Amino acid sequence: MSSELEHLARGTAELIASADEREAEEAASRPDEPSLPPLEWLKVNLFSSVLNTVLTIVFGLAGVLAYQRLLNWAFSHEREWDAVRVNMRALFTFTYPSSQYGRIWVTLGIVLALAGLSLGLSRMVGQGFSLKRISTWCMAWGGAVIAGILLVQPHAKRSPDGEVLLDADFEPVRESFGTAMADRGWWWLVGVILFAVGLALWVVLGDVKRRTTFVGAVPFTLGVLAFAVSTLWWFHWGNYGQQGDIIEPGRTVKDSAKLPWTVMWLVLTGAYLLGQRLATTDRAGSIRVVVNFSWLLAPFITFWVILRDPQIDYAHVVSTDLPMALGFMIGGGAVLFFLTKPGVGEAGRIVGVGLFGLAIFNWVAAFFGVYPMLQKARISFLLLALVALAAHNFAGERSQRLRFVCAWAGVMAMLHYLVTMINAPSTVDAPDEFVGGFLVTVYIAVFTMIFSFPLGILLALGRTSTLPIFRVLSTIYIETVRGVPFITILFFFSTFLNIFLPDGMEIEQLAAAGLGFALFSAAYLAENIRGGLQAVRRGQYEASDALGLTTVQRTGFIVLPQALRVSIPPLVGATISTFKETSLLAIIGIIDFLRVANSVIPGQTVFLGVRMEGLLFVCMIYWIGAYGMSKFSQRLERHLGVGEH
Amino acid sequence: MSFSDATAAVSDELAARDDIIICDGVDKWYGDFQALNQVSANIKEQEVVVVLGPSGSGKSTWIRCINRLEQHQSGRIVVDGVELTNDTRNIEKIRSEVGMVFQQFNLFPHLSVVDNISLAPIWVRKRPRAEAERQARELLERVGIPEQAEKFPGQLSGGQQQRVAIARALAMEPRIMLFDEPTSALDPEMIKEVLDVMKELALGGMTMMVVTHEMGFAREVADRIIFMESGEIVEAGTPEHFFTNPQEDRTKLFLSQIL
Ligand SMILES: Nc1ncnc2c1ncn2[C@@H]1O[C@H](COP(=O)(O)OP(=O)(O)OP(=O)(O)O)[C@@H](O)[C@H]1O
Ligand SMILES: [Mg+2]
Repeated sequence: MSSELEHLARGTAELIASADEREAEEAASRPDEPSLPPLEWLKVNLFSSVLNTVLTIVFGLAGVLAYQRLLNWAFSHEREWDAVRVNMRALFTFTYPSSQYGRIWVTLGIVLALAGLSLGLSRMVGQGFSLKRISTWCMAWGGAVIAGILLVQPHAKRSPDGEVLLDADFEPVRESFGTAMADRGWWWLVGVILFAVGLALWVVLGDVKRRTTFVGAVPFTLGVLAFAVSTLWWFHWGNYGQQGDIIEPGRTVKDSAKLPWTVMWLVLTGAYLLGQRLATTDRAGSIRVVVNFSWLLAPFITFWVILRDPQIDYAHVVSTDLPMALGFMIGGGAVLFFLTKPGVGEAGRIVGVGLFGLAIFNWVAAFFGVYPMLQKARISFLLLALVALAAHNFAGERSQRLRFVCAWAGVMAMLHYLVTMINAPSTVDAPDEFVGGFLVTVYIAVFTMIFSFPLGILLALGRTSTLPIFRVLSTIYIETVRGVPFITILFFFSTFLNIFLPDGMEIEQLAAAGLGFALFSAAYLAENIRGGLQAVRRGQYEASDALGLTTVQRTGFIVLPQALRVSIPPLVGATISTFKETSLLAIIGIIDFLRVANSVIPGQTVFLGVRMEGLLFVCMIYWIGAYGMSKFSQRLERHLGVGEH
Repeated sequence: MSFSDATAAVSDELAARDDIIICDGVDKWYGDFQALNQVSANIKEQEVVVVLGPSGSGKSTWIRCINRLEQHQSGRIVVDGVELTNDTRNIEKIRSEVGMVFQQFNLFPHLSVVDNISLAPIWVRKRPRAEAERQARELLERVGIPEQAEKFPGQLSGGQQQRVAIARALAMEPRIMLFDEPTSALDPEMIKEVLDVMKELALGGMTMMVVTHEMGFAREVADRIIFMESGEIVEAGTPEHFFTNPQEDRTKLFLSQIL
C-alpha cells in the first residue's frame, strides 16, 4: 500500500485545514487589527525578497501552464465526458436492478437523517466560515473560471454532421479567438457572477465585519447542496439513455434523480433543524446517546434488510428461530441477573467457568461434526459464557442489574435477527453480481470499520496484557497478518474460506472479502491502539488500582478512552486506507467503483477505450471521501482535546 | 524504650487503640536491590503517622506496599484485619478501604471533576449515580472548591487538582488514607491549601500515613514520626521527641540537613 503517498496527502490536507482554522481563530481573537490591503498582502507574502519573488514567478508560471494543460485536456474535442455522465448508474450501483433503487434511496435517507440529527445535536461544530473567507473563495474561483476561459485553446470546428474538421496536417481546424470567447457565454456568466459576489462582499462589508461575521459550516454546506440539487430541475445534465450495454434507455439524469435528491436534501435539512431543536432540550444528552447508538445499528439494518430482500420461512421462524432467540434473551438474562447479584461469589465463578467450558466444547465439537447445533446458538452461547465471566463487574442494585439484563436481551434480539436475515434465502440470489460500483466500496469500507475496531481493540489489549496466553496469541495473530501481503489474504478468504468452515456454514464471496478486510485491518488498528495504550501514564493505572477498580473497569473507563483519544489520527488514517484499498476487490473479480471506470466503461461499444475520464471522476470521489474523513477527525480531536494536558 | 521498635513509640492514649495496619518484618527487593529491610511497625486507628527520610530511603515503596501497588516478598502486612496475599479479592477489598493520594495527582484527564470523584463509588461501591454525584459535590465543598465541579483536571491549578484527588480518595469512604508527598509537585503558594485539607482530615479522626518533607505539618499534626533510611526504620517517636531529642546519629544528621 502506498502509505507514503497517503501520508503525504493526509499531511497536506491537515496543513490546509489547520491554516483555515488558525485564520478563523485569529480573526476572532483580534477583530480590531485591520488586515492588509491586497497589494500590500502580495508584497509581504509573495515578493518580500529576491528569492521569494523568483519562487513566486517560477511556480506561478508552472501553475498557469499546468492549469492550461489540464483544461485543454478536459475540454478537448477528444474527451468523452458522456462516458461518465451516461454511466453514473454503472459507476455508483453497477448492475443493481433499477426496480430496486427505492432501497438505496431509503438507505441513503436513513444515513442522511442520522447525519442531520448528529450535526444538529453536535457540540463540536466550530464557528464556521468568515465572510472574508467566503469572499476570498468566490473571487478565487471566479478568477480561476475567467482565467480558464482565456487560457483554453479555441475549440475545433465541426462539420454540420458533427465531424471534426482537419487541416492538411490532420490537425483540427480551430475557431478564431473572438468566436471562442463569444461561445463561452455561460462560463463568462459563472465566472463573472462568482467574482462579483466575492468583490461585493469585500467592498460592501468593512474589514472588521468581514472577519468577524461567520456563516455556520453546516448551513453554508446545505446552501451549496441546495444549489447543486436545484440544478437537476433546470439544467440539462445529459441523457444516459442513449446507448451502452448496461444502461436503461430513455430517461435523463434529471428525470430520474431530481425528485429523490430533492427529498434527500429535505431529509438532511429537516433532520438538522430537528437536531438543533432537540439540542436545546433537557434530554439532549440521552437523545445523543440514542442517535449514536442508531449509527451503530444503521449499517446492519441497511445492509441486510434494505439491500437484500430475504424470503422468510415463517414456519421455521416460529418453530425454531423465535423460541431460540427468546430462550437466550430470557434464559441468558436470568443467568446474568443471578450472576450480577452482589456477593454471589464462588457460585458465580463456577457458573461462569462452566458455561465457558461448555461453549468451547460446542465449538470444538462442531469442527469434528459430532455435535450439531445451529451456528447462531453456538455464537450466542459463547457470548453468554464470555459475558457471564465478566458479570461480577456489573454487580449492583436491582435497577442496575435489570438494565444490564435488558442490554443483554437487546444484543441477543439483534444478533438473532441479523443471523436469521443473513441465512434467509434472498430474491437477489447472487448479490455479488448485483452489488457493484460505489455501493460495494461503501459496503466493504463500513463493514470493515464495524468489525475491525472492536477486534483491533481486543488484540491491542491482548498484546499488552499481563497474561501470557493472551499476549502470545495476539502477538502471533498481529505479526502473522502484518507479515503477509493483503492480496494473499484477500485471495484466501474469497477462495478457500468455505473449505475451512464447519459443515452447514457458508459465506458469500463478498462477505468473505469483507471479513478478510476486517481481519487484516484489525491487526494494523491493534498496533495503532497499542501505541495509544503505551501513551497512558503509569499513574493512571495506579490511581485506578488504588481506588479498587477491577481490571475490566480500569481498562474500560480509564485506559481505553485515553488510549483511543491519542490514537485518533492513526485510526482515521487506517480508515482512509481501508476506504481506498477497497479498490483491490477488483482482483478477486468483484466489480467495484474503480473497475467500472477502468474496464467496464472502456468496454462499452460506444465508449470503447475511454478510460481517463472515468478514472479522473473516480479519483475525485475517493478524494472527497478521504478528505471528509480527515476533516472529521480533526474536529473530533479538537473536540476531545477539551481539558487535556 | 527502644526507638528501633517503631510500634512502642506511641502515647498511652493511642496505645490503647486497635492496630489497623500491621507490618511485620517486611522485605522488598527490586531485583538484587533491597528497597525494604525488615520493616516492622503497627499503626493504630485514627493515628497520623508521618514518614520521613532521605531520597531513595524506601518511603514510597513502603506505603505503596500497604495497598499493594507494590508486592512485598517476605514478612506480613495486615490491613484492617485482612492479610495482603496474592488473592485478588483481598486486594480489591483492601484497596477500596485504603485511599491514596499521589505526588503527581493522577487525576483522570478525560473525566470531569465530578466524574473523577464519583466513578469509583458508582462502580466499586455500586452507588446510584445521582447519589454518588451528590456526594462528590459535598466532598468538593469540603475541600473548598465546589465551583470547579464541571471542569476538567487540565483546567485546574495544581493545588486544586490535588484537592480533587483527595476528594476522589475520600469518596470511597476509606478507613485509611495514604499520602505520598502530596505537596512536592506544588508551587509554594498552593501547598498550604492542600495541607489545610489534610489537617482537617486528621482532626476528623482519619487514620493517615503521610510521606512528606513539610516539617511544619509533621510537627503540628503527626502523632508519630517514623524516620527511614536505606529501607530500614531508623527511629520513631512523637514529634516533640523526634525533633528535640533524636537518639540516632543518622537522624541527627538528617535533621541537621533539613532544619
Ligand atoms: N520499580 C523500581 N525498580 C527498581 N528500583 C526501584 C523501583 N522503585 C524504587 N526503586 C528503588 O528503591 C529505592 C526506594 O525508592 P522509593 O521510591 O521508595 O524512595 P523514596 O524514599 O520514596 O524516595 P523519594 O523521597 O525520592 O521519593 C530507591 O533506591 C529506588 O531507586
Ligand atoms: Mg517517593
